[in-house]
Amino acid sequence: METKVLIIGIGNSARGDDALGWHFAEKVAALMPWEVEYCYQLQIEDANKIQEYDTVILVDATMQKSEKGFSFTKCTPVNSFSFSTHRIDPGAILWLSTELYNRTPAVHVMAIEGVQWELGQGLSPEAERNFNNALSYFLDWTRNNFIAELERILPSEAPHFQLQKSTDTGSGL
Amino acid sequence: MSKTITIDPITRVEGHGRVTIHLDEYGKVEDSFFHIVEFRGFERFIQGHPYWEAPILVQRLCGICPVSHHLAAAKAIDQLVGIDPNDLTPSARKLRKLMHYGQIFQSHALHFFYLASPDLLFGMDAPIEKRNVFAVALANKELAKKGILMRKFGQEIIKAIAGKRIHGVAAVPGGMHKTLNPDERDYFLNGKEIPNVDTMIDWSLEIIRFIKAYHGQHKDLLDTFAEFPSGHLGMVDPNGNLELYHGNLRAIDNEGKRTLNDVPTDDYQKYFSEAIEHWSYMKFPYLTNIGREKGWNRVGPLARINVCDAIPTPLAEIERKEFRAFTGKRVNNSTMYSHWARLIEILHCAEEIKTLLEDDAILGTDLVREGKPRLEGIGIIEAPRGTLTHHYQVDEKGMITRCNLIVSTTHNNQAMNQAVKWVANNVISQKGAITDGMLNQVEVAIRAYDPCLSCATQAIGQMSLRVELINHKGEKIDERIKNGN
Repeated sequence: METKVLIIGIGNSARGDDALGWHFAEKVAALMPWEVEYCYQLQIEDANKIQEYDTVILVDATMQKSEKGFSFTKCTPVNSFSFSTHRIDPGAILWLSTELYNRTPAVHVMAIEGVQWELGQGLSPEAERNFNNALSYFLDWTRNNFIAELERILPSEAPHFQLQKSTDTGSGL
Repeated sequence: MSKTITIDPITRVEGHGRVTIHLDEYGKVEDSFFHIVEFRGFERFIQGHPYWEAPILVQRLCGICPVSHHLAAAKAIDQLVGIDPNDLTPSARKLRKLMHYGQIFQSHALHFFYLASPDLLFGMDAPIEKRNVFAVALANKELAKKGILMRKFGQEIIKAIAGKRIHGVAAVPGGMHKTLNPDERDYFLNGKEIPNVDTMIDWSLEIIRFIKAYHGQHKDLLDTFAEFPSGHLGMVDPNGNLELYHGNLRAIDNEGKRTLNDVPTDDYQKYFSEAIEHWSYMKFPYLTNIGREKGWNRVGPLARINVCDAIPTPLAEIERKEFRAFTGKRVNNSTMYSHWARLIEILHCAEEIKTLLEDDAILGTDLVREGKPRLEGIGIIEAPRGTLTHHYQVDEKGMITRCNLIVSTTHNNQAMNQAVKWVANNVISQKGAITDGMLNQVEVAIRAYDPCLSCATQAIGQMSLRVELINHKGEKIDERIKNGN
């Protein structure tokens, strides 16, 4: 049976590097036969959305520094009480999906480091470099985890995606 | 020794606010302030951009109500291409209204289910770990699921028309970018993939029954909590009915006397002024002829229900009459009745959405009109939180030279400050110990107005924060400055 995968790009394309999540989702949408959503921030109804999928990838910009300029981690359900309309943590969304719908999809968070956040600015050079590293890592991870399905559903001449098994285990950073 | 209590940040509102309550040496409240410390900058940012970008750019003001800003800007931009609201094609006008009702429906659902319901279900004195929507989900799964699906329904309406849940392209100068096809329409009518519009009407009635039952048990609280006299402002149609997309502006004082008598929205500048205070970035609009002290108005659901003579959909009109009969007054000045009024508007929007979905005009392809270009455009709509004004001036090349935004939450600035003062004086003053439940009541009073502080200040970037402590002699005794980065 086909794995249902959803990519959610989080951010604001008008605020500099906060556009990283949307850019990433857009890029993946062009390469993969998966559904893509864009949002400013996660909201409670996203629990209803993710419960329809087997695997969900959340992509957002982060101010947090890391060696490679990005992190890719698997999310666990968290009964979080820090809710405001600003933001809900991915773990809280997953908790709601489990609690309300008895569905716990595999949720992964790709956080890409940005440095500038002002209105009207495009991606900074640092963010572009981190973006490329994150995308490269993600495609390796995808090859390792979805190779059989992609071979079946993608046309053999698919130009953007080389279906060769990577040696990287893609186990996260 | 005098003492200052600070609540920072206010939770379950959009944006960043701060409250300070000044106590004298005996623990009696001297004064209180609801501060907005985000910087106001979008009006300047948009200058120099071509006018046709405005409806797209202003959506970035807010992730909660981008559709409202999009439509208010679109109405103003229509005028720049020579098209007044009544000149739009029937299809374009009805598609915009459908999107607008979808926006208000989902925004009100978000506020009631996610933000307000924890206070109502668990009480203002409930422990902090219960005062959130996660506790609602645990305590009442069906209520939580309905809330989620109602919000989703409104968002799906927006997505069908604009292509995205947020920041889609729907309105263009003089009309609409795209129409709906029959499949897109049937999605909301047939109930196969999501609960249909009839279910939305049923659920809207259900939550009104919930608030009425709550009222039955807590009438004294609803009547008295943060009750204070004020003016009320909203839009009405030529017959005095509630109108959310385009109509005339009507204001009444705290006893129901007209202070603004159904004036055209294009004339707003003749009637309104904006004051500033040194302790807030948010302005204080007021009716010029009455003055700063008494000329301010509440806006939003409670104000709209107060100013209109009727609601033009049958089920919501029944509920409006019952609401009015319960309070027994011409004007309801009790803050907590905003929740009930908001739910009546949810029902009204659901009824309007059904009517529009059943109208073939929303499938029409005559979407755009052109007129003689002008150098000034004004767009005013009733956004979920109240009257929203967008005003642009352009040069001969169509570049924006001036932008003025009066956002709904700005109108409610004085009302929110009054609500905070009420709680400070009636709940906190001279009580000895300050409990967490007392402080939550300050937030409950503010939250009833569903403020969107990011919109109100047109926030830009990350702001510095200055905190000053003032003693009972008016002397600054301490200061802290936190840089945005």
